[in-house]
Amino acid sequence: MSNYIGGDDAYLSNTFGKSLSLRVDGRFKAVSISPSGRDVVLAGRQGLYVVDLDDPFSAPRWLHHITSWEVADVQWSPHLSKPGWVVSTSNQKALVWNLARSSSNAIEHVLHGHFRAISDINFHPQHPEILATCSIDTYVHSWDMRSPRRAYYSASVWSAGVSQVKWNYQNPNVIASAHSNDVYVWDLRKGCTPLHSLKGHANSVNSIDFNKFNETEIMSSSNDGTVKFWNYAISDKEPQRTVVTDFPVARGRYLPFGKGFCVMPLIGGNNSVYLAECVTENGSEPVCKFQPIYVFKGHSDCVSDFLWRVRHSSESMIDDREFQLVTWSKDCDLRLWPVNETTYKKVHFEQFAPLESPLVDHLYSTYRQEPPMSRNKFDYSRQMKEHFVTKSGSEDTRDKNKVDHLAWVSGVKLHHANSPHDLFEQDKLQNLGEEVSMIGHKFPKVVFEKISVSTGSLILTLSGPWSERSPDDLVFLRIEAIFPPNYPCKKNDPVFKIEENRELSASKSKELTDQLQVISAKHTELGMYCLEACLRFLLGEKINLDALQDEEQLLNFDVVDQAEFEDLSSLDSSDMRSHVASGSSDLSDEEGVMYDDKTSIEGFTETKLDLDTTPVPKGCGATWTSSGLLVCFFALEGKLDKKQHNLQILNQRNYVNSKEGQKPEILFQDDLSASSSRPKRYVELHPASSEHNSENGVMASETDSNASSDSFGDVWNDIVRSDITLRTKLPVYSAFGKNLTLIPSDDGKSNASTPKFKNTVLVKDFSHLIADKRQLALEYKFTGDSLESICKHNADVAESQGMEDLAHSWTMMANLLIDREELQTCTFEWSFDGLGDRWFVKEAMSFFEKSKNVQMLAMLSCILMERSHWSEIGAEGRFPRKQQNNVVTFESDLHTGFPRSHQGSIASSVKSEDYFSPHQFRSKQPKPQLLAPSSMIPDVKIEILHDETLDLIGGRLPPLLDPAEESKYRSYRYQYAELLFYWGLLIHRAELLQFNTPLPAPSDDSWSIYSRSAPDSVIPLNATGMSYKFVEGEATSPFIVNCNYCELKIEGFCSTCGSCQHIMHAHCAKEWWRVSNECPSGCGCACVDVFDRV
Amino acid sequence: MVTISNAHSELIHDAVLDYYGKRLATCSSDKTIKIFEVENDVHKLVETLHGHEGPVWQVDWAHPKFGVILASCSYDGKVLIWKEENGRWTQIATHAAHSASVNSVKWAPHEYGPLLLAASSDGKVSVVEFKENGTTEPIILDAHSIGVNTASWASAALQDGSNSLQNRRFVTGGADNLVKIWKYSPEANTYLVQDTLEGHTDWVRDVAWSPSVLLRSYLASVSQDRTCIIWTQENSQGPWKKQLLKEEKFPDVLWRASWSLSGNILALSGGDNKVTLWKENLEGKWEPAGEVEQ
Repeated sequence: MSNYIGGDDAYLSNTFGKSLSLRVDGRFKAVSISPSGRDVVLAGRQGLYVVDLDDPFSAPRWLHHITSWEVADVQWSPHLSKPGWVVSTSNQKALVWNLARSSSNAIEHVLHGHFRAISDINFHPQHPEILATCSIDTYVHSWDMRSPRRAYYSASVWSAGVSQVKWNYQNPNVIASAHSNDVYVWDLRKGCTPLHSLKGHANSVNSIDFNKFNETEIMSSSNDGTVKFWNYAISDKEPQRTVVTDFPVARGRYLPFGKGFCVMPLIGGNNSVYLAECVTENGSEPVCKFQPIYVFKGHSDCVSDFLWRVRHSSESMIDDREFQLVTWSKDCDLRLWPVNETTYKKVHFEQFAPLESPLVDHLYSTYRQEPPMSRNKFDYSRQMKEHFVTKSGSEDTRDKNKVDHLAWVSGVKLHHANSPHDLFEQDKLQNLGEEVSMIGHKFPKVVFEKISVSTGSLILTLSGPWSERSPDDLVFLRIEAIFPPNYPCKKNDPVFKIEENRELSASKSKELTDQLQVISAKHTELGMYCLEACLRFLLGEKINLDALQDEEQLLNFDVVDQAEFEDLSSLDSSDMRSHVASGSSDLSDEEGVMYDDKTSIEGFTETKLDLDTTPVPKGCGATWTSSGLLVCFFALEGKLDKKQHNLQILNQRNYVNSKEGQKPEILFQDDLSASSSRPKRYVELHPASSEHNSENGVMASETDSNASSDSFGDVWNDIVRSDITLRTKLPVYSAFGKNLTLIPSDDGKSNASTPKFKNTVLVKDFSHLIADKRQLALEYKFTGDSLESICKHNADVAESQGMEDLAHSWTMMANLLIDREELQTCTFEWSFDGLGDRWFVKEAMSFFEKSKNVQMLAMLSCILMERSHWSEIGAEGRFPRKQQNNVVTFESDLHTGFPRSHQGSIASSVKSEDYFSPHQFRSKQPKPQLLAPSSMIPDVKIEILHDETLDLIGGRLPPLLDPAEESKYRSYRYQYAELLFYWGLLIHRAELLQFNTPLPAPSDDSWSIYSRSAPDSVIPLNATGMSYKFVEGEATSPFIVNCNYCELKIEGFCSTCGSCQHIMHAHCAKEWWRVSNECPSGCGCACVDVFDRV
Repeated sequence: MVTISNAHSELIHDAVLDYYGKRLATCSSDKTIKIFEVENDVHKLVETLHGHEGPVWQVDWAHPKFGVILASCSYDGKVLIWKEENGRWTQIATHAAHSASVNSVKWAPHEYGPLLLAASSDGKVSVVEFKENGTTEPIILDAHSIGVNTASWASAALQDGSNSLQNRRFVTGGADNLVKIWKYSPEANTYLVQDTLEGHTDWVRDVAWSPSVLLRSYLASVSQDRTCIIWTQENSQGPWKKQLLKEEKFPDVLWRASWSLSGNILALSGGDNKVTLWKENLEGKWEPAGEVEQ
């Protein structure tokens, strides 16, 4: 259950002296640090978060206190005797929390004395039970916790609200407060007459701070951009010194070490915290310019507050304190900044100077963990009461208490590097925590049951295709992974354990574990993080280990210096032990506790993560239309790039710190890694957009690109409220609320009078690339006096449309099909040229096939083949095959003259053309060679050639086209018919489809063209479009709604008479026309005959 | 050339002209679908359809023989069917069989009847038949375990005559980097995997089955790995041959592939906000045939 407990020694801290960034969403306003420096408390509208700085990867403890009021201040008691006391504001009340109690019962006192919002709280530096509050109701109250019902001291200047109140460090009776532009110093013993009033600021005072060592010295910081140092023992009229900065100052405090002070701008000032030296010697200029000696720069938004984290050895008689700056900013980052030696020196901090009395030792422990419950009866009933009376159900569900751990982990960034400035701008994975968070978002189907970065152990569940019964079944796996502290260095590969599972045989399990071992070993060999590869493998993807080295490193891994981890490793091993121990104790606790609604945050389960693999949306695309128009849509140029760019950065930098220090050059240097690291999933886009949101929310300047991604994020939020994974650690409403506040401004922008281009749809004509042309189709002919003339006509058509090559093809075709009269004169060459013909046609067809010119293919297939087929059948009825045989015999007998007997039918003429056609075109070259021997060649030879042809032909199909491919040609015609339909050339289409319709029995054929249900039609589908078209086209006309035969409503297949427009169900029509030729409506139309004519 | 700017307040994810090229449907992250009438260079917004609760990924017009019908799919996991009658658009059906974002929706070739293919991130594809009596009969298939990004029907015309209904095929592409070919099995009344094509090294974002009825079937698949693969099969049977459209990777991820009606031009688009056109030359190599930038 538990993970990192940590040592009780601040010197074992793995975060002290390092820089750390923690992303904490949830609109926290105020921050305070425990005197031991171990914990930080953040206060906001949702309550308190207690973050253990030594184990930043563990989700914080969350003490609920949902309020609609911003929290103005939170203070952790600095006293040894009250280590768990935290006081926070809630509008006009102050809440005193005791973190040593359970979260549901942590509020120890409520101080209610002000009647407007409290603006500041200050613990008395000497008396643990006393604290002072001030409010915009102009009062300053001092409270004693031993009788918290009412303030024991109050003072007011009536004129203006109070912004700050501070106790004097030396004199326990003196208190100072800032009222508008003035600072008042009070003495508790003198009632509400101010001791001094320090006037001099030109604008309101935001912060005051007593000097720790000099009783009468106080500094005040103001909106007028100055920091004034007063000594009211010398003068309460004039400040001793005024420091002029170029920003309004929000906070100005003396340093806890050396002689210096720290100021923090209210706005501007690079969002930094400035450290400066105090020059208090007389004789220095009374007014001087602010000269910082050190700048803590890196936040992307105003800093809300800064704190000092301190540690020193226990009972030490020398001043061996070390400090670390903690800042909390509106950019939602909590940061820890190391302070280096030179800085100490600059502010004259003498380290290791002997002390008069030992420093106070605070117990170095964390309040992040829920305290174990006592079973004291009193507590029990009290708890019950709290549940029913005050908590209004906000804590009853365990889920609500949970902070999204994965999201939390993804917000943590720990740096080992020592360079203070670039600390937060590195975009490398630094540790397991970052790896886990990154991966957690990449694989939404993987549920992390436990993430314990400090101990290097993970428990995750997923479903992988490892079933032995069927490859499609998924097997649920629960896997424990232990990562050595030096991971991912060489030989430090993690150990995976697959929990026993009914669906997974032992051997399979072994196989998987072995495979995982291989993968992880291979990765760690190269110093790479391996979790992603292992998960991919477990999810059923193939992992190519050989390509590992070449592969773009998805996570941008860096080999972590082993030395850096040394201190950690010793720590971790001890953690392991304590982990085991505490785990068992947790367990027993849990059993005994009834109302413990939040035993441990580590029992975290990832329930919110939706299994969402929706890919990133397409912002650009193109679709063809039938007529050769291309519909393209684009996201606006540049914008997309920018967004992608942001995404890349986000992805690589693990969603943290992406706002400042973007380094696109680096990212784009390696083109490969740049785009491969782009997110694939839609969900991954969200952080980017919400990032923009938060940016927009607080910054006045906004750009177009922000706007677009903003709204993107809004949408995202709207739909997947339950699925907020990345940046929002609080329950949905908070994130949602955040967005809500932002939406109006976005809308305002996008609807503003100046339209911003976000997208474009272009319809572009690319018909010149498409070989099929409507214009050609309009004028092309299938039928005509002779095939040659058809071709010639078509050639002219093509030429008139400027299609030179098509025109040329048609001319060649025409030549090919020239009047066979000529052919007959050169008697014996026909067979040779016949082959040439076939060759030519074949080449032509394959050319058009390759160029995918369906129009030409269909046209040719009609003209060269189907026509004869069609008309032959038309003429000869049901015996086409036989007739062809006749032809064959004729030909083999008589090569000198084709029998004229068949001339009467088109069929025979076409056929003979096919056989003999080549001449004009082909004969020109071969003729001279063949002429001489030709007369010698016996008839027999010709017959053989002919036989070959016949073999190829076989059956009833005409010879110029390969009959075996009849179905192919048919589908060409069919597709061309579809094209014609697209183009609205219905007559042409019908004409064309006749070629595809084998002649059915006369009784049926009259309507079979229009009905798919014709029983003997080979391709009834060809016709259905037409009949449907009829229905749809005429849908508004009233008289076709009902079938004229059965009187029922027409749906589906039907038959419409082209003449009288009366309509029948297809099956009705079949039935009716079996018995009659007339229209069933009785209109007198002879539908069947009409069809015949059409 | 028609240019419509800023029709939607968000990214547009699909734009399709209807059968006759007269109406343009666009859909967007702003959860709406807009219908434009397009005539020559003039366009007019005729309708905005609200109904989806998430970004709308794709729209598809049904064949006009079924009426003026549009299908749309969205991140909200639903497929909505819209119909226009007498100038009024109504939502006539909802298909909510999926538990995650529906990424692609396609009407079958009209010969098959009103048959809709939807691909979802829940790893399934569904084939829904909208029957005459108003009922639907979805066939739901587990296609790609991580998520199905796209699905596309094979053209009907290639298959001969009466048994074409039995020969229905479609192709899916998924987040498991695979492309799968599915064929209808009348005995089982479902679709079975006929082929699994491996070749991509990252998510397959779109697959397009060439509408051409040439003997060879063409499939184009585009992927997050910045490649486009042309898959060909002879005579609707036998193995699929794989050919990279071009050897080098594209400058950015590819999102979309679309064939012209007779299958001679392939339009690809992707993350670089560019549309490129490709054409197969007589040697069977693919050559660039044009480019559109906004």
